[in-house]
Amino acid sequence: MMRFISIIILTFQFFCFATIKTSYANSIISGISTSEIEIDTSFKGAKILLFGAKGYVGNVIVAVRGPKKQFILTKKNELFGIWYNGKRVKLNDSYSYYSLFSTFIDQKIPEQLLSDLELGKNNIDLNFYSADIDKKAIEDFRLYFLDEMQKENLYLSDVEKVDFLNETLFKVMLEFPKNISRGTYSVDIYLIDDGSLISFQSIPIYVKQIGFSAKILNFANQEPLKFGLLAIFIALFTGWFTNLCFCRFFGK
Amino acid sequence: MQIYLPIAEIPINIITILMFGLITGFIAGMFGIGGGFLATPLLIFVGIPPAIAVATSTNQIIASSTSGLLIHLRKGNVDIKMGLVLVIGGFFGSFIGIYIFKFLQKTGQIDIAVSIIYVVFLGTIGLNMLINSIKQLLESKYQITWEKEHDSAFARCIAKAKKMPLQVEFPKSQITVSLFVPIILSMLIGVLVVLMGIGGGFLMIPAMISILKMRSEVVTGTSLFQIIFIAANATFLQAMNNNLDIVLAALMILTSAIGSQIGTKTSYKIDTERLRSFLALLILAVCLKMLISLFTDPANIYSLEIIK
Repeated sequence: MMRFISIIILTFQFFCFATIKTSYANSIISGISTSEIEIDTSFKGAKILLFGAKGYVGNVIVAVRGPKKQFILTKKNELFGIWYNGKRVKLNDSYSYYSLFSTFIDQKIPEQLLSDLELGKNNIDLNFYSADIDKKAIEDFRLYFLDEMQKENLYLSDVEKVDFLNETLFKVMLEFPKNISRGTYSVDIYLIDDGSLISFQSIPIYVKQIGFSAKILNFANQEPLKFGLLAIFIALFTGWFTNLCFCRFFGK
Repeated sequence: MQIYLPIAEIPINIITILMFGLITGFIAGMFGIGGGFLATPLLIFVGIPPAIAVATSTNQIIASSTSGLLIHLRKGNVDIKMGLVLVIGGFFGSFIGIYIFKFLQKTGQIDIAVSIIYVVFLGTIGLNMLINSIKQLLESKYQITWEKEHDSAFARCIAKAKKMPLQVEFPKSQITVSLFVPIILSMLIGVLVVLMGIGGGFLMIPAMISILKMRSEVVTGTSLFQIIFIAANATFLQAMNNNLDIVLAALMILTSAIGSQIGTKTSYKIDTERLRSFLALLILAVCLKMLISLFTDPANIYSLEIIK
């Protein structure tokens, strides 16, 4: 409830401020309802409201990018009817999450600019790493990767729309699925007019585990030795205790 | 009812995991195997990343094996001496396995070679066990006697190996055998365990029955005994690699220990021959599943794995 009230207050203050400011500036300004996503044991995904204001010209594009991770892609090959794991390629430093929102209906944005800003899933920089692999194979791997990430809801398949409240005020509901990775996400807001970038703003969102979940994660990362021993002990103890209970209640 | 898994980084349905634990625990207790062959694919099926699924099932195996082992211990059906010898052999085997694994990884094509070897192994063992147990079932039911087969070259070889030096008596198993045989046997199985990434109960139990010729009452218990050590070692290594999700494991452990109690008690109600033919069918089913997956066109020829 407190969070909800604070969002309303924040939004209100912001809109007052924004309408004054943007009426004479050709810039973009925006904010988000919260800059933290907290993952606890009951986490099922999260929604964050992005709102902002711009001048009378230009198109707004919002890109949300998740922390960069390493991926391994494997392709199966066939030999005499037997399928086995063949070529493996590593994908270094690539976004673990990507979604895009835009208003561009009235203007065409040059491909070069989209590519430079990594806007649109075909423009995402994917750093494939493999010793000997041809361009065609890389392209197949790339298409599969994008496809798979969409299935996991980690890459949004289509460009979503930015909602406008009036000519200058806009809002976007950012939805994060339940399987997002921890780390720093960046919400990048671009204002593009006449084929060139006229304003840019980047807002970070921190995704982290809290409570019991975070305690376990820290323990596992910081003291793997004790963590392993504890796991073994729990299993041995449960096995022993279950047997004891069965003996007592169901007889030998 | 969902719970978020801190290491796997996804929420999962609690009831599903509890059911998985119960089923794998039951199978493990009944046949004296680990049950990783069942637990790992089930976990992957509900969306757990493969590396975490493997680590979690090894942790769960400790609980189901301990739970079942205690019943066998009370009945005096565990050959601890033999179990320890097998643990030592398996330990060395896993070290050799790691080296072979690294070597094969460099040359590539590791999957195809190992898969084929494993399918051939499982197929022969499963068929042999099934034929033998059916023969004996028929024998006891209809008093049919089979012509005594000539010893095969393999059997003669085993017999000769058993007469090697370092003769040791295993009173619980009622055998006297050269120490080399169980050690080398468990070493070979240990190598395969590393290469295949699964527990090896499928290979150990038939080896105990047909090569070591241990008394059938002690086979299941002794197998569970040595599995605890193998699984504990694997769990520890997996935890060091940050693959172990203790929340997921704890859920499975809870019900797999119960399942194992029920399974072990059931196994004492079924006669040995029938139990053995069930195990043979199980082995053949796994073998068939592997064969099918080797020969059918995969739904997707690509696969994706995130490195945390």
